[in-house]
Amino acid sequence: MNPRKDLVTIDALSDEDIRTILDSTSAMKDIFTKSVKKVPALKGKSVLTLFYEPSTRTRSSFEVAAHRLSADVTTFTVSTSSVVKGESVHDTIDTLMSMKMDYIIVRHKNSGIPAVIARHCKASVINAGDGAHAHPSQAFLDAFTIKEKYGEIAGKRVVIIGDILHSRVARSTSTILRRLGAEVAYMGPGPLVPLQQHTGIPRFTNWEQIFEWKPDVIYLLRVQNERIDTPFFPVSDYHSAFGVTEERLRRIDDLNLSIMHPGPVNRGVEICDAAMDYRNTLINNQVENGIAARMSILYHLTPQTQSND
Amino acid sequence: MTNTYITNATWALTGEKIDLRMGHGDEPVTHYMSDIPLPGVNGITPAGEMQIPAGARTINAEGKMLLPALFDLHATINLEGHSKRESIYRAGQAANHGGVWGMLVMPSKGFIFDNAATLDSFDDAVSQRSFATMVPAGCITEDMAGAQQAPYNTLAARGVTILSDGGKMPDSLLMLHRAMKYAAEMDLTFAIRGDVPCLSKNTYMHPGTTSYSLGLHGTPACAEEIGIETLIRLAKDAGARLHIQTVSTAEGVDIIRRAKSNGMKGLTAEVALHHLLYTHEDVGDYNTTFKTLPPLREKQDCEALLAGVKDGTIDCIVTDHTPCLSFAKKQDFVSAPHGMVALDTFLPAIYTYLIKPGKLSWAEVIKACCTAPVAIVNPYDREEDTPVAAPLLLFAPDEEQHITPETLSCGTTNSPLLGTVVQGTVTLPIN
Repeated sequence: MNPRKDLVTIDALSDEDIRTILDSTSAMKDIFTKSVKKVPALKGKSVLTLFYEPSTRTRSSFEVAAHRLSADVTTFTVSTSSVVKGESVHDTIDTLMSMKMDYIIVRHKNSGIPAVIARHCKASVINAGDGAHAHPSQAFLDAFTIKEKYGEIAGKRVVIIGDILHSRVARSTSTILRRLGAEVAYMGPGPLVPLQQHTGIPRFTNWEQIFEWKPDVIYLLRVQNERIDTPFFPVSDYHSAFGVTEERLRRIDDLNLSIMHPGPVNRGVEICDAAMDYRNTLINNQVENGIAARMSILYHLTPQTQSND
Repeated sequence: MTNTYITNATWALTGEKIDLRMGHGDEPVTHYMSDIPLPGVNGITPAGEMQIPAGARTINAEGKMLLPALFDLHATINLEGHSKRESIYRAGQAANHGGVWGMLVMPSKGFIFDNAATLDSFDDAVSQRSFATMVPAGCITEDMAGAQQAPYNTLAARGVTILSDGGKMPDSLLMLHRAMKYAAEMDLTFAIRGDVPCLSKNTYMHPGTTSYSLGLHGTPACAEEIGIETLIRLAKDAGARLHIQTVSTAEGVDIIRRAKSNGMKGLTAEVALHHLLYTHEDVGDYNTTFKTLPPLREKQDCEALLAGVKDGTIDCIVTDHTPCLSFAKKQDFVSAPHGMVALDTFLPAIYTYLIKPGKLSWAEVIKACCTAPVAIVNPYDREEDTPVAAPLLLFAPDEEQHITPETLSCGTTNSPLLGTVVQGTVTLPIN
């Protein structure tokens, strides 16, 4: 893989970049089974997590990944009030650059912020989710989880269900899966699924269409109430119309389909309790693979902060 | 003042070569080739026929077009770190550089034209510092807050003919309806952009392939179209004059065309030059220069807007000039302010992208950028007690201009033409 400073979107990566990061994820995962779960790959490097939005899983996943590569991790807590008080992202970044960080892992509610930061600094910038734009590390862990389950991604069919409009996961995961030869479809409440002419991705609005399409993986998104000010649809309809109900779970079981979800899960909304314990539910695999995928991403990026000593 | 003789100029409207004598004394000539009066011109002959006294001041305009200077119906003078006077100075310089002799200045932060004192101090600063005529648009509401109507009678007495809250559509239609009824008696024109604020809230660009891949929420075209339809119905009912600002969608053009063909009086409309030239795809990878309000739309919209200019549905082409600090535009797309600067490059850009490729004729451009906007604003010199008339400019279509930060005299660089070469340079004023 050619030296690459940042990971902002999947689109920016070459096919070789994608293959390289995905292939090493497996090697990273092997480390987890060893008695010493740590390698010195990033010893002496500084990693900063800069989360403008609340997150537990992604942030701790990146932190564990960085620790397992022996990097020093700093957590920068940005209260939303300091942003309101007027400090611009540029000024925050200038401050952070003075701290000589090698990697900045950033999450922000505005689409496009990581790209601005990446242009502005020499550290490697990893996008941990920006608005509805991109969440590339999630895409890698999803692709790896499917590859681990089925041996290959090409030819597999994945339907992503839920609030596509606001979902960076849908955008990034569909992009990587399609680049790797899978077919992707979207399903969800009408106002939350963009038109096929804008996405290039088939658009379904009910489960019958999905079962007819014969997917291999059912990928559920969380219903993100915190991003919605004016309701898009009656939320009380969601489970019966779009969720994995017990009845649908039986069909999913009969057809031997897998269930994935980026977490955190709203039980009883997008997924019934029983589905959490279903034999082909890969949600915990996703969490474990998330650490390995993020280790691989950190390992393959090249900050421009290093001198040649 | 002695006479100045301009020889071998090409009159833009007809392409004929003429000589003319500019100077005071005689009545201005209404040119025999057009119905546009040429102020300050008191003699015209075909090229080579004019008797020029020895030693007279002569400008050889060989290879240059002569046309009335443009009037821009939609410019904003943001302060952006400069003093008011400096900002006015820069805007005036930019205007003349782009062939614009006068402009309607939208109220904005720093220039809230809702009272006599602000208008007086603005006029004072303009008369001292500006190269261009600047006509302030009075506010529709106090502090542009959308609540209480501004004192229209006071504003009208200070020469205000157009009311605008800087393109913002008021939330309260009841307030606007009453404002229109009140202002109708004073022959004031409301200049408003069609919008339904609750539909366009928290949206950043046109919905489509680009907004999907960038994860930016799209501004539905229907927000603008419902807004336009609403404004037309309110103005019709109130008997007020209405100027629709910065139309950006094909169906918006259709709505205005229908209203005009139904005989609605006092209805005019404008399109910003950038809505004729660019589409939402130009946003590319979060290029904030192309963040505009309303957003850049589809190619079909550009074509429908151009057709609207040609058939007279759209009366004027405007700059919608909006200076933004480069720091502000370097922020992420969501946080960056809307707007482009366009005064500096107005006529060369129109020539390069519309006239030269044959999309518009000189006659159509002069109508849309000079005669129509002047007729809407009616700029009036209260000291001289006469209407202000457009001066002439010379345009050298064969000269190229590289657009660099140094050539943009407006003081900010949020121009989509930065780094490009445009065709044509302007001489304004001529003498």
